[in-house]
Amino acid sequence: MPVIELSHISKRFGKFVAVNDVSFTVEKGEFFGFIGPNGAGKSTTMNMMLNFIKSSGGKIKLLGKNVPEHDLDVKKQIGYVPSDVRFYPQLRVRDLFCYTLDFHHMKGDSAELKRYCDLFQIDPQKKFGDLSLGNKKKVALVCALIHHPELIIMDEPTNGLDPLIHARLFRVLKEKQEQGVTIFLSSHNLKEVEDYCSRIAFIRSGKLIGVEDLTQVNQNVKVITVKADQLPIAVMEKIGATCVKKTDHEARFAYEGNMAQLFSTLSNLSPQLDDVTVANRDLEEQFMAMYERQEGERL
Amino acid sequence: MTLFRLECKTHCKTLLIWMIVVGILTLGLVSLFPAMKDMGLDQMKAMPKDMMKAFNLSDLGMLTTIKGYFGYEYQYVMLATGIFAAMLGTNALSREESEGTISYLFSQPISRIAIVGEKMLANTVLYTLYWLVSMAIAYLVCLMFKETGASVSDLFDGFTQLTFAGWVMGLTFLSVGFLLSAFLSSNKSATSLSLGLVFLTFILGVVGKMNNDFKGLLYASPVDAALPSTIFKSGIEWNYIVIDLVVIVVAGLLTFWIYRRKDLNV
Repeated sequence: MPVIELSHISKRFGKFVAVNDVSFTVEKGEFFGFIGPNGAGKSTTMNMMLNFIKSSGGKIKLLGKNVPEHDLDVKKQIGYVPSDVRFYPQLRVRDLFCYTLDFHHMKGDSAELKRYCDLFQIDPQKKFGDLSLGNKKKVALVCALIHHPELIIMDEPTNGLDPLIHARLFRVLKEKQEQGVTIFLSSHNLKEVEDYCSRIAFIRSGKLIGVEDLTQVNQNVKVITVKADQLPIAVMEKIGATCVKKTDHEARFAYEGNMAQLFSTLSNLSPQLDDVTVANRDLEEQFMAMYERQEGERL
Repeated sequence: MTLFRLECKTHCKTLLIWMIVVGILTLGLVSLFPAMKDMGLDQMKAMPKDMMKAFNLSDLGMLTTIKGYFGYEYQYVMLATGIFAAMLGTNALSREESEGTISYLFSQPISRIAIVGEKMLANTVLYTLYWLVSMAIAYLVCLMFKETGASVSDLFDGFTQLTFAGWVMGLTFLSVGFLLSAFLSSNKSATSLSLGLVFLTFILGVVGKMNNDFKGLLYASPVDAALPSTIFKSGIEWNYIVIDLVVIVVAGLLTFWIYRRKDLNV
């Protein structure tokens, strides 16, 4: 049973369509990435999932239950980290933890709380309003974890975190994933998405462009960069490579095909090339290629 | 009841400040009574009758008694009380969206109905506490400065009725404030809306008093339902109270209905 199931959801604000017919599923125990440029509709989609806003159409199921009908049951099992952490500034951090546990009708494990505070270097005596952006984010992370949710939804969770805490956070999330917790991560940091997520959904201008298995993406697609006075675009396209970027003396191709054929072609071309590199396509490359292609189609 | 506790904690400082300020104001106003009652009031008699009515000064002789004097002076504190109650209401829901705390609150397992319900309950308790303390201070101060021969039991009766009528008045402004708050996604305009709400209804009441053709406007003024001078003179006017209670119930139900359907500004 999928933990997240979005079927043809859409959201209109007047005439503006913020999310248009988005469908995807996330399975239990997955570390799922949700990426897209600013204003793509990521936060709107998450806001609908959390019932902050009502969808204009489609169905949302979280943990097997319809949202918003079973919103309350669902939220008992969700931990949420907002991108802009603005909790009650007058409260001390320890009070925020207590209120969070109270909302979940839980007593809380003081040893676990201490472990999180030590791990993320949080001073529970401080007032939330006196914390820096990074420390506020850490408090939000702990609030999302302390009630042992089955699904953790995070919107840009690592903004403002230093590399040490960043690494610790993902270590904790990995532990949670191993325990069967599903993690839904929206991020602009493609490196962290690539490092931790097994699948990703791309969204742009409110439309879902695709859902990709990252292991497949990285293994199958190569990026070839050639430098030459006469760029061999026609030859490369003949073997199925797609030119994703071109300047006067440099071209980049995406290639998903027979490697022997690729190396044979490059070998034949070698006298006219100044330089050539072949690399696995990383997520950033894929992301840029996809958006450049979309932009081209739009223009 | 976690949100109830959170809401009470958030407002306890504001509540304390209002109680202290209103307490000092009451003490200051009532302490002037011994000096005021001996002053001649002949100059005031020159004022136009309608003007006297508008300022609830139709019976100048009353000003020589503690009940009459307090009834006149305290109407301005009643206005401030209305503003306090309206501000509690208009800020209650909109502040969460304006300050962004709604993203924390609404990601917890709490329904929109519970958010409105617990906030209404917390603000009602806060307002009730404020009002009871204010009335207790006012009563004690009146006892301290009352004229010789004034009946304590009569004063107590008057204060009991005023406490009830003032409580209903505050709850009316609180519930209308809540209704406005359900529409707002920012509390930037909450203070001006609260002031506008209280003064507009008060002015409607003044117009109703000055012109018999518009007497019906008096019912649109919750402050008039709890004017100390009227309460001390002729007791609670129940038709006002019934109208206020209807407004409280309708505004309350509408708040629940609107907030359930609202897209929250996160």
